[in-house]
Amino acid sequence: MAEPMGFFTDPTVCIGCKACEVACKQWNQLPALDEDRRTLSGDSYDNTRKLDGTHWRHVKFVEQFDEDRRDGRWTMLSDVCKHCVQAGCLEVCPTGAIIRTEFDTVVIQSDTCNGCKACLGACPFGVIDINPVSKTAQKCTLCYDRLQAGMEPACSQACPTDSIVFGPVRELKERAGRRVDQLHAAGEKRAVLYGADENMLGGLNAFFLLVDKPEVYGLPPDPKMPTRHLATGTLATMLGAFVVGLVSLFNFRDRRAGEASAPDRDQP
Amino acid sequence: MIDAPSSTWFTSSPHWNWLIVVYFILGALAGGVYFLSAMIDLTGRDRRLARLGYYMTLPLLLVIGGVLIVDLYRPDRFWHLFVEIHTLRPMFKWWVPMSVGAWSVLIFGFFSLLSCLAALFEHRDWRWRFPRRLRPPGVLGMLVTVPGAIMALVVTGYTGVMLSVLNRPVWSDTPLFGLLFLVSAVTMAAALLALVGRWIHGDSPVVAALNRIWIWLLLVQIVVWIALFVTLGPAVRGWLNVWGVVLAIGIAIGTVLPLLAARFRTARGIGGLPAAAVLVLAGGFMVRTAIVFVPEAIAP
Amino acid sequence: MYPRSMEDSDCVLVMGSNMAENHPVAFRWPMKAKVEHGAKLIHVDPRFTRTSAMADIYAPLRAGSDIAFLGGVVNFVLNSERWNKDPFFRTFATTYTNAASIVSSEFRDTEDMGGVFSGLMAYTGDAPEWPFNGFIGEYESSSWSYEREGGGAGGDNPGGGPRETGREDGGGPNEQPALDATKAGAGGPPYDDLVRALLQPPVQRDDTLTDPRCVLQILRRHFARYTPEMVEQVTGCPRDQFLLVAQTLLDNSGAERTSSIAYAVAWTQHTYGVQIIGCAALLQLLLGNVGRPGAGIVALRGHASIQGSTDVPTLYHSIHGYMSAPSALEPHNSLSEWLAQETQPTGYWANTPKFMVSYLKSMYGAAATRDNDFGYAWHPKIIGDHSHMPMFVAMNEGRVKGMFCIGQNPATSLNAKLERSGLRKLDWLVVKDNWLHETAMFWKTAPEVRAGEVATADIDTEVFFFPSSQVAEYDGSFTNTQRLLQWHYKAADPPGECRSDMYFTYQLGKRLKALYAGSTLPRDQGFLNLVWDYESTDPREQQLGEPESEKILKEINGYYSEEPGRHVAGPEDLADDGSTSCASWIYCGVYPSPDENRSANRQADPPGVPGAHLGWGFAWPSNRRILYNRVSADPQGKPWSERKRYVWWDEAKTQWVGLDVPDFPTTKPPTYRAPPGATGMDAHNGTDAFILKTDGVGWLYVPEGLVDGPLPTHYEPVESVVRNPLYKQQSSPVLKYWKIDGNPLAELADAKYPYVITTYRLTEHYLSGAMSRWLPWLTELQPELFVELSPELANEQGIANLDRVRISSPRATVHAKALVTRRMRPLQVAGRTVHQVGMPFHWGWEGLSTGDAANELTALVGDPNTTMHEGKTFVCNVHKA
Ligand SMILES: Nc1nc2c(c(=O)[nH]1)N[C@H]1C(S)=C(S)[C@@H](COP(=O)(O)OP(=O)(O)OC[C@H]3O[C@@H](n4cnc5c(=O)[nH]c(N)nc54)[C@H](O)[C@@H]3O)O[C@H]1N2
Ligand SMILES: Nc1nc2c(c(=O)[nH]1)N[C@H]1C(S)=C(S)[C@@H](COP(=O)(O)OP(=O)(O)OC[C@H]3O[C@@H](n4cnc5c(=O)[nH]c(N)nc54)[C@H](O)[C@@H]3O)O[C@H]1N2
Ligand code: SF4
Ligand code: SF4
Ligand code: SF4
Ligand code: SF4
Ligand code: SF4
Ligand SMILES: [Mo]
Repeated sequence: MAEPMGFFTDPTVCIGCKACEVACKQWNQLPALDEDRRTLSGDSYDNTRKLDGTHWRHVKFVEQFDEDRRDGRWTMLSDVCKHCVQAGCLEVCPTGAIIRTEFDTVVIQSDTCNGCKACLGACPFGVIDINPVSKTAQKCTLCYDRLQAGMEPACSQACPTDSIVFGPVRELKERAGRRVDQLHAAGEKRAVLYGADENMLGGLNAFFLLVDKPEVYGLPPDPKMPTRHLATGTLATMLGAFVVGLVSLFNFRDRRAGEASAPDRDQP
Repeated sequence: MIDAPSSTWFTSSPHWNWLIVVYFILGALAGGVYFLSAMIDLTGRDRRLARLGYYMTLPLLLVIGGVLIVDLYRPDRFWHLFVEIHTLRPMFKWWVPMSVGAWSVLIFGFFSLLSCLAALFEHRDWRWRFPRRLRPPGVLGMLVTVPGAIMALVVTGYTGVMLSVLNRPVWSDTPLFGLLFLVSAVTMAAALLALVGRWIHGDSPVVAALNRIWIWLLLVQIVVWIALFVTLGPAVRGWLNVWGVVLAIGIAIGTVLPLLAARFRTARGIGGLPAAAVLVLAGGFMVRTAIVFVPEAIAP
Repeated sequence: MYPRSMEDSDCVLVMGSNMAENHPVAFRWPMKAKVEHGAKLIHVDPRFTRTSAMADIYAPLRAGSDIAFLGGVVNFVLNSERWNKDPFFRTFATTYTNAASIVSSEFRDTEDMGGVFSGLMAYTGDAPEWPFNGFIGEYESSSWSYEREGGGAGGDNPGGGPRETGREDGGGPNEQPALDATKAGAGGPPYDDLVRALLQPPVQRDDTLTDPRCVLQILRRHFARYTPEMVEQVTGCPRDQFLLVAQTLLDNSGAERTSSIAYAVAWTQHTYGVQIIGCAALLQLLLGNVGRPGAGIVALRGHASIQGSTDVPTLYHSIHGYMSAPSALEPHNSLSEWLAQETQPTGYWANTPKFMVSYLKSMYGAAATRDNDFGYAWHPKIIGDHSHMPMFVAMNEGRVKGMFCIGQNPATSLNAKLERSGLRKLDWLVVKDNWLHETAMFWKTAPEVRAGEVATADIDTEVFFFPSSQVAEYDGSFTNTQRLLQWHYKAADPPGECRSDMYFTYQLGKRLKALYAGSTLPRDQGFLNLVWDYESTDPREQQLGEPESEKILKEINGYYSEEPGRHVAGPEDLADDGSTSCASWIYCGVYPSPDENRSANRQADPPGVPGAHLGWGFAWPSNRRILYNRVSADPQGKPWSERKRYVWWDEAKTQWVGLDVPDFPTTKPPTYRAPPGATGMDAHNGTDAFILKTDGVGWLYVPEGLVDGPLPTHYEPVESVVRNPLYKQQSSPVLKYWKIDGNPLAELADAKYPYVITTYRLTEHYLSGAMSRWLPWLTELQPELFVELSPELANEQGIANLDRVRISSPRATVHAKALVTRRMRPLQVAGRTVHQVGMPFHWGWEGLSTGDAANELTALVGDPNTTMHEGKTFVCNVHKA
């Protein structure tokens, strides 16, 4: 396996130009203009609204202004599939359509997916949705086709300010650490990394720098694996089966039931 | 989402619709009915009622199979659930409820087909008598019915476990949906079998036993509900919407009301509770609807 | 300066532009400076934009109050202890600017005259054939000039002198030398005598900078009233924010540090746009932020190759290389008259005769001879202002018969309804575009046609549509914001009938020449003699009819008349005797030999090595990246500091060396003193870094060349909600306004239009939207027209987010959805609350996303120097629809 590759996304230098969104659509030939998105959202400059089967990159716009405007901030964050080391989507996919590549990225094989939708909810970040053209679940592939050809992903290449940096995750983490130190030194004490360490789903190969609580950017503070309830849920269900079995056995074995037992092979 | 009670609030919708509700109901009934029929068979009681159960199961399963395939965005690829298309190896992930479920439905379908055949041959008195051996008593019969009953329970329960691992609000905020679904499936099935059995064959001790079973299981359900709400914790807030109302009504008419009715009637020793059984079914339907749709109502 | 140099800035002021949104790729450089060495980023804008989001300091201001703001910074700097103590500033100002120059005693400043300068009078300059120049007044500007040795105002230098000097009624003190020079040039080349005849006595100076008439003292007085309090009153920018900006700029200027300023059309689109930019230039000269790495003013250009289109001009009033177009309103009757009028005797422009004669040779080739003034008489002359707005005014008056609309969408342009009524008066309209845009369809789908006010059947204009090929479908060059020519290659044949604009122009020229063939009319001779041979050597292109773009670039570069295979290598090679041919002297050197197209160079500097990437493309002139870079060294020729070294004098090599091509005679030592009576570059000292200026220094005070005053002065926009708090004069006394039906203006503080409105761009769309509203990927990013307003204003008018609202100006009413956001804020101006609203102007009625054109609202009013419209601020009202 090649070295794990990923993204470091830094909203403090994102100018919200959406070049990443368009580059992704262009490279992956994703359609635009579904019904939902023909109208103004009214939510700042975000009109594509979310990540889904035709939006594998999505730039969030967060306006935070005091009433008197003394303190004000407009943050843009380019969101994408996190290529989790422990990937919920991959865990739950019943067809094996979702695979982990040699770059430690998570890719949905479009020819395999049958649109069962299990992965849609399973992703802790709500990244995946059905692509209306292929009718299969789709999301960022981390430009698997480009990586295989030794190229950089389309989105990071298009990013004019290096808000999206692509590279080996190890190097990205160093770079991100330096950036956080720099921001702290410049007085931005809120700067933290999101998903850069193993605590979050074993680490996110596409991780972020945040300057506020994750929820502000629509990110879960503690993303969890969908399978966390698998064992307990199964055990509880088995317990249920046991109880149900007992109850029915007990009742069918009941004397009164036995007395009135009908003849065995009654015929019409 | 600043004050989301759970990380599940950040996941996105799997676009579930009424097909799923239909599937959940029919799946629960099919599994539950087969299981009860098998229990009747195994305890050597009313063969007519068990046969009735087997007859009901197979068509239900056929409908379910259709629903499950149609519900895929790519129905033409339903078989990808069973075969890895690049290697052509079997596709089975034991830790994935949907995979387990797909196989279970398939295997359960097989057993239920056998049981149904047995019932049919028994019933029609056809010359070829071998299929009758597929029902207990007898080793072969046991070999069909016992695993069939187990698969039936798996089918009733896996859907709930699947909810718990779909990572959606409410669904995945408790591990108890599998338990709930299994118990309520058998409850509903008991009510249904009692209802249909009584309608076709009239009152019988087994119908009375079925009635007692659903009453017992309703009591179990109440315990499960309490446990479920406790485990949900703050995620209970997810039900503060129309689906919460549907759920409340569902629990009221499907659990509380029949129990009250039953308590009142059993005191007088009467076994047949058709109205209450209908309530159990209606309540089960509403509860499943409320569960299937609740995450959709939670704004991302 | 150029955008990449912002990488070296210690502070970047973006004002008059929304750089992050409209120049996202160039914005990479200030971001780099910010992230990599902590440069301070400042944005001053009426709206909190995506640029503001990146800024360390954001300062709001009322649209149109930029001069008040910048004037405040100038005043702050002049009064600061640091500026007055730090020897860097003093040396820089006395050596490299005209701070010490003495101005004519006849000059009266705005201080003395209620906000106008000496020389204001009524405008009478229109030619009868073209009464559309639009001036509401004009200055007789001779009193603004320098005081020269020997006493008396020397008068305007003829070169670039104001228009009126040439008019019949004009006259004025400067006619005398011009006449002499004309005589001196009448005999033909060489024109050295003509140049010498233009010489004037040297400008008087006071190096102590104490003379009340020296430029610095005039500045001090002029800007004294631009106090922080006044800035707050006029601009609405809170005082502490303003002071923070001023202090940050000052702190980041000096020998060790440099600051840059980036602007675009939010400074140009005013009736005093040139003065805003002038004010920024003045400030940068005071701060020593010119000609040095990370210093200067970045004029962010718009359209792809818009720089190229002014270099090799589509501008009506200039010919290649920023020479004035021969004009019927000027003493331009013969080549020598033109030369006498347009040549500067000192500095680089003394070469004008060489540039002009070489240009005429490129036009008329062998037919241009010494005997026929190199064909000068054949050259067309302008008869007034032929820019966009006067053209459409004239169209409305029925004075224009036909129009080629090539790569433009006027149907949604300024006061759009008027533009469309102009189009309806044309006999024919040729649209050459990639899309059937609003202009191509105006006769069928324009709002007034759909509303039934105008019937298609009643429109007599014959419309021809020529589909255009795209840039990747032909070879050619781009000239970008940094004057950098970059060659691009054809990647594919254009589909179907699509052809390049080169094809269109070339074929049209060929056909017209064929039609005129044989004519003996004098007026047709120019056309017949025009050199017009760009036939492609590629059989495929020949078949398509496409010309060869290299041939065009070769002609622009120039060659020896007798030996077309030998190219001229640079402007120094040009001669005034017809032995060289060169269309554009500034591009000279881009094609130094037939097999070397320097615009195709692609050699970047290796990472980490300081340099100016001289091997990448070709920057005019002579591949220089930073102009006037001589000032990056001190008067003695040494770098001001290690950190900011760029170009310096190498004693050992006795020449200027550095990271860039020195913008100075390579071997002229810093100690060189110009002998009396010298002309051209010889007349400049070894410290005279501003080689294009007659006096070799940067102009803090502009003694000539501007029609609206030598110093920036705050005026209110034509339409304003407040009375000018600084002067009695409300708005520019010489602005352009066309008083015609359909172009009314609001009264001052008109209660019907209580809000300020500004128009602008979004990253997601492009200009009129013809290129972006057809693209699904872009349309989904900004699917609908909106108007941005503050919650306070929305509240006042009962408007909720996403409500449909009506926006009206005295010209029209349009509809849009409300985008209510705290990024917009009410300002306290002149003691009252001023609300501003903003609208992008990208919409029209064709395409995937349609909406009203914001330009229905705008007025035909313009800057007196450039005729740029005032689209950046006017008044409006907003109601829930
Ligand atoms: N994405 C995109 N990029 C473009 C273009 C495009 O259409 N789309 N167009 C290109 C072209 S042709 C051009 S000319 C450039 C223009 O580039 P810019 O000049 O940056 O463009 P605008 O958006 O028109 O105006 C910039 C800002 O000026 C502010 N503003 C308005 N009035 C005033 C004022 O009086 N003073 C100050 N200080 N600010 C004011 C507005 O709020 C706006 O944020 O962009 C080029 N780049
Ligand atoms: N209110 C207001 N109005 C403004 C401004 C503002 O800020 N506010 N900004 C002004 C500014 S700075 C500008 S630059 C103008 C722009 O105004 P326009 O130039 O009128 O607008 P564009 O949409 O750029 O029109 C360019 C056209 O050229 C076509 N085109 C593209 N490539 C080619 C080609 O190779 N050949 C040919 N023949 N056609 C081609 C495109 O399809 C498009 O239709 O708008 C001005 N109008
Ligand atoms: S972010 Fe979601 S879709 Fe992406 S790898 Fe993780 S779980 Fe899968
Ligand atoms: S929708 Fe496709 S990718 Fe997602 S879990 Fe189902 S089969 Fe796998
Ligand atoms: S990596 Fe590729 S697929 Fe993923 S968001 Fe970027 S461009 Fe799209
Ligand atoms: S391309 Fe870069 S700067 Fe632009 S929106 Fe995407 S992440 Fe932000
Ligand atoms: S559109 Fe072209 S010119 Fe404009 S910023 Fe992007 S790359 Fe540069
Ligand atoms: Mo522009």
